[in-house]
Amino acid sequence: MPFEPVRRWCTFLVGDACFAVDSAAVIEVLRDRGLTRVPLAASGVLGLAHLRGRIVPVVDPAERLGVHPTGRNTRTHLVVALGDDWYGLLVDEMLDVIEIPPARIERPTAPGAAGDVVTGTYAAEHQLVHLLDPERMIQALVRQGAHHAARPGGTHGGLD
Amino acid sequence: MATDNREFIDEFLVESTENLDQLDRDLLALEAEPGDPQRLASIFRTVHTIKGNSGFFGFSKLGALAHSGEHLLGRLRDGKLRLDDRVTGTLYSMVDAVRSILQAIEATGTEGEQDYRDLARQLAAAAAEEAAQVEVRSSEPEPMDEPGESSANPTAELASPVPTLSASPAAVPTAAEPDAPVASVPAAGGPAAVIPAAVVPVTPVPSAGGTSSGSTVADSTVRVDVDLLASILDLVGELVLARNQLRSIDTEDPAVLAVSQRINAVTSALQETAVKTRMQPVEHVFSRFPRTVRDLAVSCGKEVQFTVDGADTELDRTLIESIRDPLTHLIRNAVDHGIEPPEARVAAGKPRAGRLALRAFNESGRVTIEVSDDGGGINVERVREKAVARGLVTAADAGSLPDERVLQFIFEPGFSTAQAVTSVSGRGVGMDVVRTNIEAIGGTVDIHSRPGVGTTVRVHVPLTLAIMPALIVHCAGERFAIPQAAVSELLPVRRAAGGSRIEGLADAPVMRVRGRLVPLVFLDTFLGLRAATACREEGTVVLVRVDDCEFGIVVDGTRSATGARGCRDLLEAATLSTIVVKPIGSLLAGMGLYSGATVLGDGGVVLIVDLRGLSRHANLPPIEQEDSAAAPDGREPSERYLVCRTRAGRRIAVPLGSVTRLEQYRTAEVQTAGHRRLVRRGDGFTPVHDADLLLGEPVPSHPVDGTISVVVLGEKLGGCGIAVEAILDVLPADAAARPTHPTAGVAGTLSLAGLATDVLDLTGLIGVAPPA
Repeated sequence: MPFEPVRRWCTFLVGDACFAVDSAAVIEVLRDRGLTRVPLAASGVLGLAHLRGRIVPVVDPAERLGVHPTGRNTRTHLVVALGDDWYGLLVDEMLDVIEIPPARIERPTAPGAAGDVVTGTYAAEHQLVHLLDPERMIQALVRQGAHHAARPGGTHGGLD
Repeated sequence: MATDNREFIDEFLVESTENLDQLDRDLLALEAEPGDPQRLASIFRTVHTIKGNSGFFGFSKLGALAHSGEHLLGRLRDGKLRLDDRVTGTLYSMVDAVRSILQAIEATGTEGEQDYRDLARQLAAAAAEEAAQVEVRSSEPEPMDEPGESSANPTAELASPVPTLSASPAAVPTAAEPDAPVASVPAAGGPAAVIPAAVVPVTPVPSAGGTSSGSTVADSTVRVDVDLLASILDLVGELVLARNQLRSIDTEDPAVLAVSQRINAVTSALQETAVKTRMQPVEHVFSRFPRTVRDLAVSCGKEVQFTVDGADTELDRTLIESIRDPLTHLIRNAVDHGIEPPEARVAAGKPRAGRLALRAFNESGRVTIEVSDDGGGINVERVREKAVARGLVTAADAGSLPDERVLQFIFEPGFSTAQAVTSVSGRGVGMDVVRTNIEAIGGTVDIHSRPGVGTTVRVHVPLTLAIMPALIVHCAGERFAIPQAAVSELLPVRRAAGGSRIEGLADAPVMRVRGRLVPLVFLDTFLGLRAATACREEGTVVLVRVDDCEFGIVVDGTRSATGARGCRDLLEAATLSTIVVKPIGSLLAGMGLYSGATVLGDGGVVLIVDLRGLSRHANLPPIEQEDSAAAPDGREPSERYLVCRTRAGRRIAVPLGSVTRLEQYRTAEVQTAGHRRLVRRGDGFTPVHDADLLLGEPVPSHPVDGTISVVVLGEKLGGCGIAVEAILDVLPADAAARPTHPTAGVAGTLSLAGLATDVLDLTGLIGVAPPA
């Protein structure tokens, strides 16, 4: 049987659901950073933050994950690396970094619309942890946008 | 073992690849001047080095190949055989084979499956065969040169001996013509004995492949990993930000100010130096082209004289890679389609060999690279036809488009793959790809061509993408950066007459700038930051120009209510600063609206507006050609007209100067008072005349739930409205057209975009309908 190293996962809450991303992809947790709006970007894109000389687009995964947190006042961003780019995820609360033996990872069960961005589920002591594929999720969140930018609105749209 | 050696192998690969490029150049030079001993020696050394290294790393195929090549070169160098097309061809094949082996090593770590033994045999055969030939000839008894003469003027000798040697017996007398520059060579064959003696003193050829000639350069340069340079530049970027932050701290302390100033100066210098480390001469790209041109010319049966100029012009290395493909494409096009076959050229009274020039130079903070040929040029009429056939332009419009504009169609996607254009006019296979690639790095491409004279394509690229001056503008509480290179001027928005004024064509705000009408984009409403404002009374217009598109971006002005607003206020609305461009991630960049972001001195992140994307998204019309707007003979720029279609289907025009607004009303809003029809506007009524009625056409009845478009005229014309079916366009009158044949309601007929269009007689109109 091939040896598979135990991976470490960063767990966090979005709403009251617990998610996790591979800790190898995590760069940093940012708190209380002001964001610069990105007009006409997809609605999931909250804005841009600045971290160690890089521009970090911050996205809100809640809708994509099918959770609808109420009364959020969080300003915590979990910054993950996607290839050369860094992205921030708005999370409600950072939890622990945990080790999950690969054998304990089960088929994904996820709330609502999160199906295709959750790669597996781990039953922790108190709750289910949904393992996220940050790349898929961020792509889904950022990809839309700009195509509605051609809407006229004080722009030159031709005269006819 | 492979992994242990990886680092050395990488170094070997880098070095060898550079050597191969040098080899290409040397071989080309040698073809032009066969027998140049320095070139031969350099080629010999290079191949020898490759051979030695491949032995060291155990690359046996490479070693065997290099060995055969070295042997052949050795005989060439020693003057034991002459360089002819076949030998050159074999040497080129060897270079190619070595290159592909190196590529295989780079990709897989092994030499690959390809078998090069045939080529090695070919090389050996070439060496042996020629040697026999030379031996026969050098055995002929010939008088020797006087030793004194040959050493006194060795170069004169060296320039000639190989052709002399190469001459077949029949041609020998020609080569030894007394008035030839090689007069000191008495007869063929003789030099075979002389040259080896002459070569040695000129270039002491190291027998073991020494690199003595390159050692001084090598000592003063160091190989540095590109990533390392990139991270240095990143850090310098950080330093610049910190410096900016430092400068924005308000302090009176002289000690702090002094230190701050010092840091400021050092940072600027450091930034400049760091940017320089990214710069490379375009030589790196250009060096391959002579070979490309040669190979292409041979395969197309063309004769091409290729010149390269300004290869030392420097460019950011990331950009250098990006221009490689587009330039290769342009050069291929020029040789393949631009330059005519030798016979055709002679028939046209041109020299047999076509000229192809590659030129790079700095021009207004950008690098311009020019590929020009003296070939057949592009048949503009064919392009015009093709553009019409492809529906890119209507037949009527195409006729009135100036040639320069027509040529731009070549850059349309898929346009040029059409056989008809390539076979007839020549240019443009995949020109859309060229433009796309160049635009991707913030550059532009333009093309000029004259039938029978040639074609010139100019590529303009920025020096660097990393750091650039930009205008920081404020808009709806946000800040944006606009690349300064594209900004031509800043104008305050004035409501009052006399200043730059936004004119109220509802959907198409424009501004008059020195006689030109420039379309405007309200940044706030465009980006959805604020609801549409029909006509803002304050703000600043940033006039920009990208490609063939000029437009104004309206951003917030200062809030001061005073009438006189000077330069200072403009600068307050938009400040200039040097920014470090940072990527915003490929996903957001895909929106096409922002080319990146930067961090300002206060730590805030600011998006950089992608002007090209903006103009595309805003669907701005391309700029009017200046030469059609301002006639060359100094006449006034031709007036522009608003072109409309009446409900009866007539095409009419109204001078744009007499129009104040365009409005739309539902037909239900139109009220009738006596014989007049009115629409409510504000607290008054505007009389509306149906255009068809004015022209004496039967007026079709209005659909009950439809809308009508109304052209509202200025106060001088009673402020009345003219109802039309649709507003089509704003067009300048074609230069040659004059109003003709006035009839009822019509002041004249003009050619607008090639279509006959009746111009409404507006002054007559007031008589018809006195102001309400």
